[in-house]
Amino acid sequence: MTLWSFVLILISLIAFVAGQLLLKHAMESTTANGFRNAKVISLLSCGTSCMTISFFLTLGLLQHFDLSYLYPFQGLSVIFISVAAAVVLREKLTLQLTIGALLISAGIVLVSLS
Amino acid sequence: MRDRPSGFANPWFQLWLSVLCVLVSELLLKRGASATAHLAENWSWTGITGLASPLVWVAIVFVIISFLSWLYVLKYIPLSVAFPLSRVVDVLVPLSCWFILGETISPRRWCGIALVVVGLAVVAKPVARLEERL
Repeated sequence: MTLWSFVLILISLIAFVAGQLLLKHAMESTTANGFRNAKVISLLSCGTSCMTISFFLTLGLLQHFDLSYLYPFQGLSVIFISVAAAVVLREKLTLQLTIGALLISAGIVLVSLS
Repeated sequence: MRDRPSGFANPWFQLWLSVLCVLVSELLLKRGASATAHLAENWSWTGITGLASPLVWVAIVFVIISFLSWLYVLKYIPLSVAFPLSRVVDVLVPLSCWFILGETISPRRWCGIALVVVGLAVVAKPVARLEERL
């Protein structure tokens, strides 16, 4: 794996995490405000843009690597998203959720190393 | 967690629907991306040349369905619960690669898959207990 492909994987990962946070925030706002609302629409479009960037970068990487090798890198996003959900969205991270997220990530990294 | 609808509108069902659509789309994307890899020139790293394959377009339809059901899931389930559970796809993808695309799974990869399954169980267990009480 070259440095360049590592950078691309990292960018697609960051875009993915940011996208998820934006989308979650948007969907929570719909409960109070509905969909016809400037805040919800801008959050949804930002989130969707992030996901689109991540999607096309992943597609490009897929042209050069095996799916079963490449895809599990996104597994690291489990840790990133759990932490970000706790810090940014103030979700309650229980001990069991933390252990579960760590196990899932460790498993996915192991899958991607082999 | 607030009141949630049942049947097709049940967010847990939608979570499964989303995961299955992601699985199908990933397999289609791999097929489509491989088929168009030879077109790769200056812009190959953006993946845009993948659009030359019809499989990639079908995959995009599945991505959109999974995206919509995922948005619905986000409305009801906390991200720190829904997202780790959605990673069941990281078990299903290598298994399907093995089954359908003929890629190999090493012993270490099998261990990784097992670890993910244990992690999923740890996340899902308190949730299942919570649901029973509702």
